[in-house]
Amino acid sequence: MKQLLKNVSNNFKEFGTAIVRGDIWVKMSLLIMGAGYLGRKQFIRAILITLLQVGVLVPLLTVFAPYMSKLDTLGTVQRKETFDALTMTKTVNDYDNSLLILLYGIIGILAILAFIALYVSNIKAVYREQLEAEEGDHINSFKDDIISLFNDKFHITLLILPSLGVIIMNIIPIIFMVCIAFTNYDDKHQPPTYLFTWVGVKNFVTMFTNSRTITFGYAFLRIFIWTIIWAVLATATTFFGGILLAQFINNKFTKAKKLWRTLFIITIGIPQFVTLLLVSKMLGDSGIINTMCANIGILDFLKNIGLLGKGAQCIPFLSQPGWAHVTIILVNIWIGVPFQMLSATGILMNIPTDQIESAMIDGASKRQIFRHITMPYIMFICGPSLIQSVIANINNFNVIYLLTYNYSTANMAMAGSNAKEVDLLITWLFTLTNDYSNFKMASVIGIITFVISAMLSLVTFSKMVSGDREGVYR
Amino acid sequence: MKKKAIAILMVSVMTATVLTGCGNKTGEENTAVTDTQTKQNTETDVTSGTDDATVTATATNSDAIQNLINDTDGPVNLNVWCSETEQYQTVMKKLCDDFVAQYPDIDLNVTVGAVSEADMKDRVLEDVEAAADVFFFPDDQMEALVKAGALNEIQAQYTYDMNDTDLPATVKAGKYDGKQYGYPFTASNGYFLYYDSSKLSADDVSSWENLTKKADELGMEVGCEMANGWYLYGWFAGAGCSLTENDDQSNSCDWNSEQGLATAQAVSELCKADSFKSYGNDDLLAQLNDGKVCAYVSGTWNVQNFQKAYGDGYAATKLPTFEVNGEAKQMGSYSGYKFAGVNAYSKNPGWAMLLSEYLTNGDAQATVYKATGEGPSNQEALKAASSPALDALAAQSKFAQLQKVGGAYWDPATALGQNILEGNVTQQILDDAVAGITQPVETE
Repeated sequence: MKQLLKNVSNNFKEFGTAIVRGDIWVKMSLLIMGAGYLGRKQFIRAILITLLQVGVLVPLLTVFAPYMSKLDTLGTVQRKETFDALTMTKTVNDYDNSLLILLYGIIGILAILAFIALYVSNIKAVYREQLEAEEGDHINSFKDDIISLFNDKFHITLLILPSLGVIIMNIIPIIFMVCIAFTNYDDKHQPPTYLFTWVGVKNFVTMFTNSRTITFGYAFLRIFIWTIIWAVLATATTFFGGILLAQFINNKFTKAKKLWRTLFIITIGIPQFVTLLLVSKMLGDSGIINTMCANIGILDFLKNIGLLGKGAQCIPFLSQPGWAHVTIILVNIWIGVPFQMLSATGILMNIPTDQIESAMIDGASKRQIFRHITMPYIMFICGPSLIQSVIANINNFNVIYLLTYNYSTANMAMAGSNAKEVDLLITWLFTLTNDYSNFKMASVIGIITFVISAMLSLVTFSKMVSGDREGVYR
Repeated sequence: MKKKAIAILMVSVMTATVLTGCGNKTGEENTAVTDTQTKQNTETDVTSGTDDATVTATATNSDAIQNLINDTDGPVNLNVWCSETEQYQTVMKKLCDDFVAQYPDIDLNVTVGAVSEADMKDRVLEDVEAAADVFFFPDDQMEALVKAGALNEIQAQYTYDMNDTDLPATVKAGKYDGKQYGYPFTASNGYFLYYDSSKLSADDVSSWENLTKKADELGMEVGCEMANGWYLYGWFAGAGCSLTENDDQSNSCDWNSEQGLATAQAVSELCKADSFKSYGNDDLLAQLNDGKVCAYVSGTWNVQNFQKAYGDGYAATKLPTFEVNGEAKQMGSYSGYKFAGVNAYSKNPGWAMLLSEYLTNGDAQATVYKATGEGPSNQEALKAASSPALDALAAQSKFAQLQKVGGAYWDPATALGQNILEGNVTQQILDDAVAGITQPVETE
């Protein structure tokens, strides 16, 4: 942050010097950005930069400015229509659309920021050319620039598309979503017909309040804890399951390795939508597994040992908290292990054999080799991807939603905030937006999830990458 | 109609050329003749059509339609979204084609899209400006649609007056905040009891106590979905508890009263019977096809499934009674309706309104009834309609209420139903549920 401020202030200092010491061409560039290049007879560059200036300023002033001017209120004129019964036509007033105001406002502000940066660096560049001209140095022509973009500045050429993509696909939506959390965009304030407006941090306060009627605080805490438990357990179980499975298949005494591997990979081949929906039907209260359990006496056994109440008619695999949580993790093992097995197989095949051989010569047992050589090696290779999969599991929508889409909670406090015990933050967010149009609370949850994921990756990555552990295996 | 005319035209051209061989001239004459004839036919059709309209509508209304026709230049594209079932799609396409044929001078294009009625609100609200001009939705989605401003208010009617032709209850259900938003379409979206009369007698289905006892003996299943506020209401309403919506869209509810507690306990006792099941629709159909269910609370959307499963024994009746504090109470219900709505963002509101009226007038409702078995809301069409399911609905209608309830009701009610099902009934649970149901609505 300090560095950034320093950079910005340095930039403006140079900008100031450029203006004060610049000649007439540099000063003219303040108005027409191409003027400075014109003074050095660089016509193509002058035309291009002036066109860019016009291309940014004109839409900013004509299209974006009207929206940006309403950013403070997000619009004040609500849609009103009058119907003329005699001509059967409708006249609609010139209404504000809060959503568009917010979106165009954000894009407009970003465009202005980008333009200022361009403007400042343009003046600096023009001043630099003036200095070069005064000292009689060679000034890069437009052709030189193009050539340099393909040679020593090739990274700029390569990165321009991805960075534009990041801005359009990531930055704008994130800013937009963050802004929604500070508005009252919900089922009663839905554009284009109705307006929404800024409400400050009210939604965040609601999210952490727990009262008789507002139960978001309670629901959030429960769902948050379950999300973390789920992410850690789901990652750990599939990871170790995958390694063990790969180890079994890789064992030199295992016959028909390819057959085993193929069998497990088939589960990847079938779309999750199909398998998970089927599994959720099979594990349903009147599903095939429950029927079987009742027939062979497992249901009675569970009743006898007290895991189920005397009146239970079925095993609530996916219909009661606790049971459903365990079932979800077990089903996820079955879904996720083949993936981990695949990556673990690749790693196991590449373990440096010299270490294992020397360990064997020293008389290490199989278990010791696995514990002290294979596992540390795998952990070292897989560490970063493990963090990735914890974060992916925090946002693992498919497994949870498809397994529990018809779960209904018996917990009033959860019901009060449209949540279920088996929800992850991400599925809760989905219910709030999709079923209840409660966009404001959903984006609060979105921000929290984002912060959690970002912190988790920052902390663990910095821990893992720091130090010279890379040298250990060289 | 149009296609047929073209087909006839093509055939006549072909036969003409074949028969006359090189005598092309006669062929041309032939086609010309058929062309003018078809044109004349459609024209007479239209004039008779407009005549009909003038009979029912006042002079200003036909003026308005004429104004609309005069003001329309260029093609008019209308989208209709209705249920994805095959019966619906076929009958809607036919009705839309008939509508187009009424106005041969206008370049009308009506497309029928398939959107499940349960998802209609979600699909429309995804992007109101891109949604269909006319869509069909059940009454429980009315509130959300109006709140999002997606529905066009019906300020005038041109080809019929729903206040004269349709059931007052449906018209009322199509209102929100005193304004009419829905064109009445069907009045059979409530629930009642289906049963297999080859296994159960009329006495067995008269009360839940008899029903569960008999089903226990038979080793079969009966029931009603409990973890669902829509059905749950029937029990409490039947026992005399109240649930109403206030002006600010919050709810008033007294289910945590002494009577409410007694009701919840009584229903919870019923649920403990081995034969009593609470299935969602998917599970219900699976168990029904397995031949395990002999009576179940459901609605006309499942008519064909129950008919198929019960064969000659197929029967339907009003909901059974149940005992609260030793007193038999008739189970109540929500009555349900379907409406056609015009998108407030339709680019051709006039035409969309005319199309909605056409698709919901008496004849259209009768046609839809024949195709889908759903009970009409139009009184004339309703008189002609009769089936076990519709008779059962009519018998239940005395105990049915219009569904007017604020959005805060549904999730706490689902949770309450789940608790009752699990035999978990205490004053505390009911108090919590009522607190959730009656939670204040933010007004700003």
